[in-house]
Amino acid sequence: MSARALRTTLIVLAGLGVALAGYLTYLHYSGTTPPCSIKGNPCSQVQKSRYSELDGVPVALIGLIGYIVILGSLLASESERARFATMALTLGGLGFSAYLTYREVFTLHKICEWCVGSAALMTIMMGLSVWRFLRGDVDARARALAQAQDPEPIAPPLGAAPS
Amino acid sequence: MNQQGVEDDEADLTRKQRREQAREQRKALEEEAAAGAKRKARLTQLGIVVAVVVAVVVVILIATGGGGTKKVAPHSTEATQTTAAVNKLIGGIPQNGDTIGNPNAPVTLQYFGDLECPICKEFTLGALPTIIQKWVRTGKVKVEYRSLETATREPEVFKTQQVAALAAGKQNKMWNFVETFYHEQGEEDSGYVNESYIQGIAQQVPGLNLATWTTDRSNAELSNQVASDAQTATNAGFTGTPSFLIGKTGGTPSKLEYSSLTDPTSFNEAIEKLLKA
Repeated sequence: MSARALRTTLIVLAGLGVALAGYLTYLHYSGTTPPCSIKGNPCSQVQKSRYSELDGVPVALIGLIGYIVILGSLLASESERARFATMALTLGGLGFSAYLTYREVFTLHKICEWCVGSAALMTIMMGLSVWRFLRGDVDARARALAQAQDPEPIAPPLGAAPS
Repeated sequence: MNQQGVEDDEADLTRKQRREQAREQRKALEEEAAAGAKRKARLTQLGIVVAVVVAVVVVILIATGGGGTKKVAPHSTEATQTTAAVNKLIGGIPQNGDTIGNPNAPVTLQYFGDLECPICKEFTLGALPTIIQKWVRTGKVKVEYRSLETATREPEVFKTQQVAALAAGKQNKMWNFVETFYHEQGEEDSGYVNESYIQGIAQQVPGLNLATWTTDRSNAELSNQVASDAQTATNAGFTGTPSFLIGKTGGTPSKLEYSSLTDPTSFNEAIEKLLKA
């Protein structure tokens, strides 16, 4: 997978995360009961529980801010620092999702499919961003290799950092 | 000379090629070493981030779940003291399901409460003991406990804890359960009520058959009673707890307005008025 394709995939996933967390934040502030396919609407019970807020701040809002910052790190120019930021943020997001899932399963004994959806999204994003960080800028290496074999200049990809 | 010159050129070319090859190899090795060092540095950074995230999650878990859990061990000193206090207060008074007191008592007081409600605790440990001593023990008043969700945030938790109390009522020990719960009530909205907590309360009720109690907890009749209590409260216009209905037994009860939850004067006056009527 090229660095560009990987980054695009992550941008799409972060966009989905913003939409999901944005919707949950809206539900929290409007007091609307979330739609839920599970009998007894455990989503509503989870979202009205004391664990739906962290020190008075709705966890949905924390998630929304998290996804927006991740999206920002992905839209920044391709660089080692930007890849590190995305990796660190998604790992943080995964840790937070793990905490919320623990509260759902072991404290509230309820599962909210919206929360599980967000946790799954964050897990995929974390896996991809760790992979992206560890392998570095593969496109730059490919360009360098191509240039060594054929000294003709190659146009840098869109959004690449000026070297 | 020409033959010799060509051989020298070929030898020079070979030397040049060898030097070039050696340089290429050195460069490749250097690049490989640099890439290895970079990979190692990235792995170290990843490890640091993972460690920081784990530490933060553990801190959040402790901060959000540590302080609220309050459970009194069934045979601890605190549990023994609670059991003794509850027994002193209600021991020997007849109980029937959710009701404490003489079944033929002329006055019935309905107490709408939420087991997690701290204001209900204030009443249960404040004015109620006097009411029990003065009116219930003497057979003039019986008190019925009704469920109304207020302080408990999760409806499922509310239903579970209230049904657990009603299940103790199936063995005519509901008031022991309710009194013990209020005596040992945890911090409001801290999520302390879980299965282990409820089991702990039940284990402190003397003589409660835990196996029967466990079976009774899944009795649909009890959860229906919780719902029916909520309906009664709605019909009476109650939104907070504790709230009270009082009246002649068998008659239509009316709302009891109280001025204090620790001073029983309002209750005494209402009871005296009904007894005289």
